Amino acid sequence: MSAHYFSCHECDEISIVTDINKPGRYKCPNCGHLLFSYKPGMIEKVFAYNLAALILFFVTNYFPFLAFNIVGNTSHANFTTSIYYLFNEQEWMMGSIILMTTIVVPLTRIILYLMLFAPLYFGYFPRYAVQMLKLLEKLLPWGMLDVFLVGVLVSIVKLVKMGTIIPGTSLWAFMIMVFVLAAAQAIFDPHQIWNIIDKERMKQNEGLTV
Amino acid sequence: MRAIEQGVATCPACHQMVKIPDTSSPGQSTICPRCQSVVHSRIPNSIQQTWALVIASIVFYIPANLLPMMHVHTFAGVESDTIISGVIYFIKSGSYLIGFVILIASIIVPITKLIILIYLLISVQKRSSLRQHERRKLYRLTEIIGRWSMVDVYVVGIMVALVHFGGLTEIKAGAGANFFLLVVVVTMLAAMRFDPRLIWDTKE
Repeated sequence: MSAHYFSCHECDEISIVTDINKPGRYKCPNCGHLLFSYKPGMIEKVFAYNLAALILFFVTNYFPFLAFNIVGNTSHANFTTSIYYLFNEQEWMMGSIILMTTIVVPLTRIILYLMLFAPLYFGYFPRYAVQMLKLLEKLLPWGMLDVFLVGVLVSIVKLVKMGTIIPGTSLWAFMIMVFVLAAAQAIFDPHQIWNIIDKERMKQNEGLTV
Repeated sequence: MRAIEQGVATCPACHQMVKIPDTSSPGQSTICPRCQSVVHSRIPNSIQQTWALVIASIVFYIPANLLPMMHVHTFAGVESDTIISGVIYFIKSGSYLIGFVILIASIIVPITKLIILIYLLISVQKRSSLRQHERRKLYRLTEIIGRWSMVDVYVVGIMVALVHFGGLTEIKAGAGANFFLLVVVVTMLAAMRFDPRLIWDTKE
C-alpha cells in the first residue's frame, strides 16, 4: 500500500489516495479537478507515440506542404514558408512567435519526451529527469500544432475560392502528427515518473549509507 | 481540510505536498525538496498581476480590431481586411461555417476570456462564496480556449506564404495581426498568473 496525500491545485483541498498504483482517474473530492490518472503501459505508449511524432515532424518539414494555383501561376509552400516570408517582410514578432509555437516548442517537447522515456523504456534511469519533466510541463501551453491545424483548414477554405489548392505529402504527415501528439499527451502521467524518481533517489541514498 | 490551513502546499511542478515553514502570509514560499521548484501557498500578487495583464490585453484588443489583419495587393489596388470585415465577407458570400469559425476564434473567444477573468478577479477580491464550482469551471474554460485564438494569426501567416504571385496577387500581414497576437499571448499569461485557489479563500 502506498497512501499519498494530495492538495488540489484548483481549490487547495487535501485528499488522500490510498493506492496510487491502481489504474483509474483520481479527482478532487471538493471541486472535481482531475488530480492524476493512472494508466498502465504509459511509458511504452508515450515513447512509441513520440517516436512516431519525431519521424512525422521531419516528414512534415521536408516535403511540400501546400501548393496554390491561380490562372496558371503556382506558388509552393513548405511548413516553414510562412515564417520565411514574415521575416522577409520585417514582421519579426509574428514570424518568431509562429516559429516558436509550431517548430521550436513542439520539437523540444518531442525530444524531451524521448530523452526521458527512451531510458525508462529500456530499463535505465534518465539523467536530468527532474529538469526535463519541469521543462515539459512549462512548455505545454506554448506548443500550438493543434491550433495551427485549424488555421491551415481555415486558410484552405478561404483560398479555395481564389484558385486551386494542391495538398502535399507534408500536410498529411502533419495531420497525423497532431493526432499522435494529442494521444501521447492524453496518456502522459507525470506522477508515475515522479514516483520512479523518488524510488531511484531512495536507492542511491541506501547505496551511500551501506 | 484545506492545505493553506495546515501549512502545506502542492509543488506546481511535481505535485508533491510540501510543508511551508512560515505561514504568516499566503505569499510565503519554500523550495520543493524533490524538484527544487519554488512552492507558494498562493501565487504572490496574483490578483494585481492578472489585473495588469487583463488591462494590457484590453488595450491591445482595440488596435487589433481597428487595424487591418492583412493587405491583399492586386493589380486593381490594395484591399485591407480587418477581423470584422473578414467575418462579414464570409457570411455575405455564403461560407457560414468558416465565417462562424473566425467569429468564434477571433471575436467571441478573446472577449469571453477577458470578461471571465474580470469577473473572477472582482469576485475573488470581494471574497464572494457564491457559485464557486461554476467559477472553477469558468477558469478551466479560459485556460483551455485561450490558445485557440491563435488560429487567426496562423491564417494570416499561411495566406502570406501561399499568395505570392508578384504583380498579380500578393498578401501581406497587417499591423492588426501583431496586436491580435499580443492579445492572445497576454491573455494566456493573465490566465496563468491567476491563482484558482483564491476562489475558495472566502474567509478573512
